Amino acid sequence: MPDLAAIEEFLYKEASFLDRPNLDSWIELYTEDAYYWIPATEDQTDPINHVSHVYDDRVMMEIRRRNFVHPRAASKDSQTRCSHIIGNVRIKEQSPEGGLLIESTQHVVVWYLNEQRIYAFTAQHELRPANGSFKIKSKRVNLINPDAAQKSLVIYL
Amino acid sequence: MQKIPDRNFDALVTPTKLHRSLYTDPDIFELEMSRIWGEAWIFIGHESQVPNFGDYFTTNINHKVPVVMIRDKDAAVHVLHNRCGHKGAKVVDKQSGNVRGALRCAYHGWSYRFDGSLLKIPNQQGYEDTGFDASDPCYSMQPLAQVASYRGFVFATLSSTITDLVTWMGGAITCFDNLCDRAPEGEVEVAGGVLRYEHDCNWKFILENLNDTMHPMVVHESLVKAAESYIATLPQEAVEQRREAEIIPPFGASYENFENSGITGFEYGHHYDGGKTSIHADYSVDPDYHAAMVAAYGETRTREIYAFNTHNVLYYPSLTIKCAIQNIRIIRPVSVDRFVVESWSFRLKGAPDSMLQRTVLYSRLINSAMGMVGPDDLEVYRRAQKGLECPANDWVEFHRQYGKDRILADRVEGGGTSDLDMRTQYRAWKAYMEQGQQLGMKDA
Repeated sequence: MPDLAAIEEFLYKEASFLDRPNLDSWIELYTEDAYYWIPATEDQTDPINHVSHVYDDRVMMEIRRRNFVHPRAASKDSQTRCSHIIGNVRIKEQSPEGGLLIESTQHVVVWYLNEQRIYAFTAQHELRPANGSFKIKSKRVNLINPDAAQKSLVIYL
Repeated sequence: MQKIPDRNFDALVTPTKLHRSLYTDPDIFELEMSRIWGEAWIFIGHESQVPNFGDYFTTNINHKVPVVMIRDKDAAVHVLHNRCGHKGAKVVDKQSGNVRGALRCAYHGWSYRFDGSLLKIPNQQGYEDTGFDASDPCYSMQPLAQVASYRGFVFATLSSTITDLVTWMGGAITCFDNLCDRAPEGEVEVAGGVLRYEHDCNWKFILENLNDTMHPMVVHESLVKAAESYIATLPQEAVEQRREAEIIPPFGASYENFENSGITGFEYGHHYDGGKTSIHADYSVDPDYHAAMVAAYGETRTREIYAFNTHNVLYYPSLTIKCAIQNIRIIRPVSVDRFVVESWSFRLKGAPDSMLQRTVLYSRLINSAMGMVGPDDLEVYRRAQKGLECPANDWVEFHRQYGKDRILADRVEGGGTSDLDMRTQYRAWKAYMEQGQQLGMKDA
């Protein structure tokens, strides 16, 4: 049985890199073939033929992390801070090779453009064992309100 | 700030300047809602959003007025005021769905046929001998004053006097033709879902930005630089990564490139940039798609369709379309400093799936509130919204290439980095606001 405490510890580490955004460290938690997905509708199955809020592969993650700290990115001038609370962590699936599908409930308070906002979602992490810890093969953020009109968001959740 | 009296719109809009109150004054916003949004043809939706009998789609036709688009049994698509004839409750509350039998109010159960006519009132005998006349249209769900569709795109207007839709679109109608002609079967349908994006600034900023070709290399510079610096790290063999990252740099295309694309303006405020070329001109064509196009149209006509390459088309004030990308954005004002943009994608009937996938990819990158392009655009609108509170200067200027616009019989043409788009939309703005004034393409 995989060690739930180690999994939780790993999720907390990812959150810490997003809380005080450090995308250079954050991206290192992801595999080269990773995807980061925020669907635009509930139970969305298809990221290719249906639009999403975010569906980044490593290429887009690499561009985003460089853009995030660029001095002429006006939307990034405002200080961005997040506070993740992670709970209800459960192991949904595990493969013989050690791959894991982890589900957690997350509430993230985002400070951006002079206001605090709350994002609530179920996160699904596909994890792969790596060097005694994990790497993220994919992360899916199932917002409770994916159909709602959204405000600008310049950070990963 | 000096209060501008109603009807003195000469004091607000000149051929090269706008008064800042157009963006900040709630009274002007309310006037815009009644005189522009209450008069112009407003885009409601596409017929493919309500394919079957009883399918409906709801929206607002301006900042407040709720309407419902619904498919009737004879295939007719109605657009009705979404209000019960009894106590005024909004009848259809969900965004979309299918209704069987009749539209029914959740309050007292009055029901309506899909053309809006009153079907049944529960316990109706209470109305006997009261002077109540059930056949009076005021007790129905009333249709909009005018409803029309062009190649499946449904528009409605609160005005019974505005000219017909086709005349109103003028020469800009060719952009709808181009969008649909890009389908081998000559028709498009909504596909791939919607993105809704809240903007905390005045609704006119996004319309001004569509054909503002002086901003991309500034506003999107950081993104282009980020993409270029990433591409520079890639080894030669990383062909896939390079191809994907190269979607980004055209957003920072040069002034010269944009100048050559040109801008064309029309009566009623519509305009587009491109036509001969645009930032979308160099996207490679899927060979399967090209084969389907040639089979449908022949080689010459196919090339003609591709060659009409516009970037953004505005049907003033509610709709902007990208023909070459099959993507549209719908503008809905909320208040003087708030509006929502909806982005919808289209499938080209008869085209391979790759075409829809390209559209969806594009929309995700550009139109998403969590994308890499939209938030930078919105951020500069927000700064304009704040900066325009400064009393030091009451004016926003748009002199670029003024006096050089070429005025033709049904359109005005000018350089791609000119402010012709501003002159076009604010001439229409002023004419709508002055009510009953002739719209024209020359400055009064």
